[in-house]
Amino acid sequence: MATKTLWILAITALGLAAQTVDRTKPPQTPPIPSYKLPPVSETKLPNGLGIVLVDDARFPLVTVRLNFQAGNKFDPPDRPGLADAVASLLNEGTKTRTSRQISEETDAMGGSLSADAGPDSLTISGNAVSESLSRLLTLLADVTMNATFPQDEVDLYKQNRIQNLRAERSEPSFLAREKMSQAVYGSSPYSHIAPTEQAIGKLDAKVLGSFRETFLVPNNATLLVIGRLPARAELLKTVTQLFGSWQQRQLPAPPQMAIPAPHRQIVLVDRPGSVQADIHVGRSAPTRLSPEYFPLAVGNSVLGTGANSRIFRNIREKEGFAYDAHTEYNTKREASDLAAVTQVRNEVIEPALRAVLAELENMASAPVPAAELTNTKNFLSGIYLIRLETQDGLATQLNLIQTLGLPKDYLETYTTRVRSVEPGQIQDVSKKYIAPDQDAIIVVGDASKIGDAVRKFGEVTVVKAE
Amino acid sequence: MKKLTISLLFVCAIFFARGADFTIPVESSKLANGLRVILSKDNAVPVVTVYMIYDVGARSEEMGRTGFAHLFEHMMFEGSKNVPKGMHFATVESNGGTLNGSTHPDFTDYFDLLPSNKLATALWLESDRMRSLAITDENLKNQKEAVKQERRLSFDNQPYSTAIVDVWPTLMFRNWQSSHSLIGSFEDLNSSSIEDVAKFFKTYYAPNNAALVLVGDLQIPEAKKLVETYFGDIPSQPQPKRPDLSEPADFQSRKQVYKDPLARVPGLVIGYPGPKRRSPDYYALNMVDAVLTGGDSSRFRLDLVKGKKSVIQYEANLGWPFASPVDYRDPEPYAIFLLYNPAFTADQMVSQVQDEIAKLQSEPLDAKDLERVKTQMRANRIKELQSSLNRARALAQYALADGKPELINTELDAMLAVTPAQIQAAAKKYLSADRRAVLQIDPAPAGGSGKSSKEGQ
Repeated sequence: MATKTLWILAITALGLAAQTVDRTKPPQTPPIPSYKLPPVSETKLPNGLGIVLVDDARFPLVTVRLNFQAGNKFDPPDRPGLADAVASLLNEGTKTRTSRQISEETDAMGGSLSADAGPDSLTISGNAVSESLSRLLTLLADVTMNATFPQDEVDLYKQNRIQNLRAERSEPSFLAREKMSQAVYGSSPYSHIAPTEQAIGKLDAKVLGSFRETFLVPNNATLLVIGRLPARAELLKTVTQLFGSWQQRQLPAPPQMAIPAPHRQIVLVDRPGSVQADIHVGRSAPTRLSPEYFPLAVGNSVLGTGANSRIFRNIREKEGFAYDAHTEYNTKREASDLAAVTQVRNEVIEPALRAVLAELENMASAPVPAAELTNTKNFLSGIYLIRLETQDGLATQLNLIQTLGLPKDYLETYTTRVRSVEPGQIQDVSKKYIAPDQDAIIVVGDASKIGDAVRKFGEVTVVKAE
Repeated sequence: MKKLTISLLFVCAIFFARGADFTIPVESSKLANGLRVILSKDNAVPVVTVYMIYDVGARSEEMGRTGFAHLFEHMMFEGSKNVPKGMHFATVESNGGTLNGSTHPDFTDYFDLLPSNKLATALWLESDRMRSLAITDENLKNQKEAVKQERRLSFDNQPYSTAIVDVWPTLMFRNWQSSHSLIGSFEDLNSSSIEDVAKFFKTYYAPNNAALVLVGDLQIPEAKKLVETYFGDIPSQPQPKRPDLSEPADFQSRKQVYKDPLARVPGLVIGYPGPKRRSPDYYALNMVDAVLTGGDSSRFRLDLVKGKKSVIQYEANLGWPFASPVDYRDPEPYAIFLLYNPAFTADQMVSQVQDEIAKLQSEPLDAKDLERVKTQMRANRIKELQSSLNRARALAQYALADGKPELINTELDAMLAVTPAQIQAAAKKYLSADRRAVLQIDPAPAGGSGKSSKEGQ
């Protein structure tokens, strides 16, 4: 509170000086206010279910997440997308509730209940008005333990998922991401980002049920409850009643995760009629648990997060090649990938790709200047605060800790760790992971229009957009 | 089931009582130069949204200048007297914030969302460009390219988008102000000059044609002083006129087929001219939309996605695709966009949608369904208003369109007061087949360009 009072006074002083404001310079402002997360309390049920409770009384709402280590990396090789299908169908019928009853119950509590699978985790997410917390938890327990995957719901999922997959495949960014994952992750379980029509065709209640029984078990799960909560003892009693009898089960060995060494490869996905070329340049990178994570995250941000980043200023603002130009550091639990992404008009594919490669190279060849580094650190610290504005935002951050197996103090120490990154550390990790020599280059566009330009960068494999 | 009903009512009763606690403070005033200022304090998280809205959008464009409002929005980031090119982005982000601008049919908005110690910085930036935008040939040339790239990325290279942005308005509207493309043509973008930019700036980007909304961790007296300091001496301009947007009274049913070489799954847009903003029918139609498409237990999901297994995805709202119920300013349609199973024909899909509407026209909504929809609406409203940016957006719309930012606290009650009889009457009056526009988007072989053909109906 002391800090806060100080900067309020500072603003007041500025306000009183109204007539003499100097418009030629940004105003003097006080330091960034401190903020403490709402307290997080953790416990575990005897069956192994982890429980994380956070009192957040700002809004009359509650948010829950039930996180399982059961993402798409656990899909059997011949069944890509199985975890997605399980997630989509969990709320489509249980032993005692039809799909319709589930949807009417969630809507009647002003809430929602749905699940989705990422590369590592399958998360069931729900929210409701705070008075309905115990009803929400009841429903959550039911879909988790008793989902039956009714035949007609499975058939409908299959039919619509195939259509949606076709719609996704009409988007150039999907095609680029698919190829990049294959290039970065080889034949490891992270290499697929979507099911195939064939795998969708093979889905049935038996295989879905068996995935649920294997992975959706308490010793593989953490329950987050955030919002206006009842007294802790009362809430734990409700949770124990609902989830206490859930049986533990031995988990299968995790999948083998052999990530190939990065190497330069150029793939052109031919999409006739494309009026622009989607460029993705990327490779594998360390996880969030690596000591290299914070230097690389800050370096990635200097390079390609936001409108003040190098790649945006150059590719869009200076050259006018593209509307969007950014880099992304996609962290997963066991490996990550780093990529520069932009979409340029066909005529400028060559200079644009050269400019992207040059920006990547620059990160490795010189240290980031002090002022630029401070700006980026401020940016990351401020965005961190903005993300916590809503209950859902807080839940997403806490769920990420579960998904990626991060230390409990990850959020509390985040800003300090960002601030402690040195220019030399960024240059070191840039040499290893941002310099583009071993990057895969994926271009999606009309090969008849851009093929010759792309070939100037090396040997090109042309594949058809399916 | 009986037990469920009792607990449902009980829950609602408590929730309504507590829901009333969720009141958003609203402090509104006007500077001498006409700038409307709305402040809303919430000190929970130390962030603040500075939201600037100008009462001009794509519907104010002149013929031969389509896409100009959006091009101008880009120019607003190209520098001003004391803020060199690129510095607006740099200042906000290097102080831990995010920012953006967007162009809509009836307004253009700009926001800076920052840690709250940087309130003065955001006001400095916003006031400098309102006072002294840098209008140069070089900036204009560069932003013409960025806008064309945006069009290629977001429209020309995406399935459905070209049909929706270029073709759909021509079906829904007869008045050119509303029927022309919001993103504009390359030809018009190329021919716009810096004189056009300067004129547009002077006419529309004046304090008396704008509202400034500050939401979040602020102290009211200090914030007011800062606003006066930075904006108080920007001169006002003659009040620009809103363009004549009137549509012919007799809307004729119409249909068009668009062959989309980027689409793989057939799509359909169905729309009906909508009522006046905040009229009784507006609230009733919003309720119709909630019953048809809101939540997992909506009729579209239960009857069409599940029952008939025909619809794959859907979205709909008053004002679709460019407006939402909050920023709806008539004339706007109620419109529905859906992707459907190719085993069905477009005509079958239109009938299925019209049949769902017919049920609402002929049978009053039962009490339990109505209660469920209302609970959902109330909860959704609270969820939406958690973020300071969304609060600022809503306050700005109520200030601009209605002159009453405090509607943010009462508009939901107006929505929830709708009766089953009003729902039925509004569905009959507005959603009939003889005042319906249909855009059928068929997948076409890859490699071609989009084509339209009109069909009589």
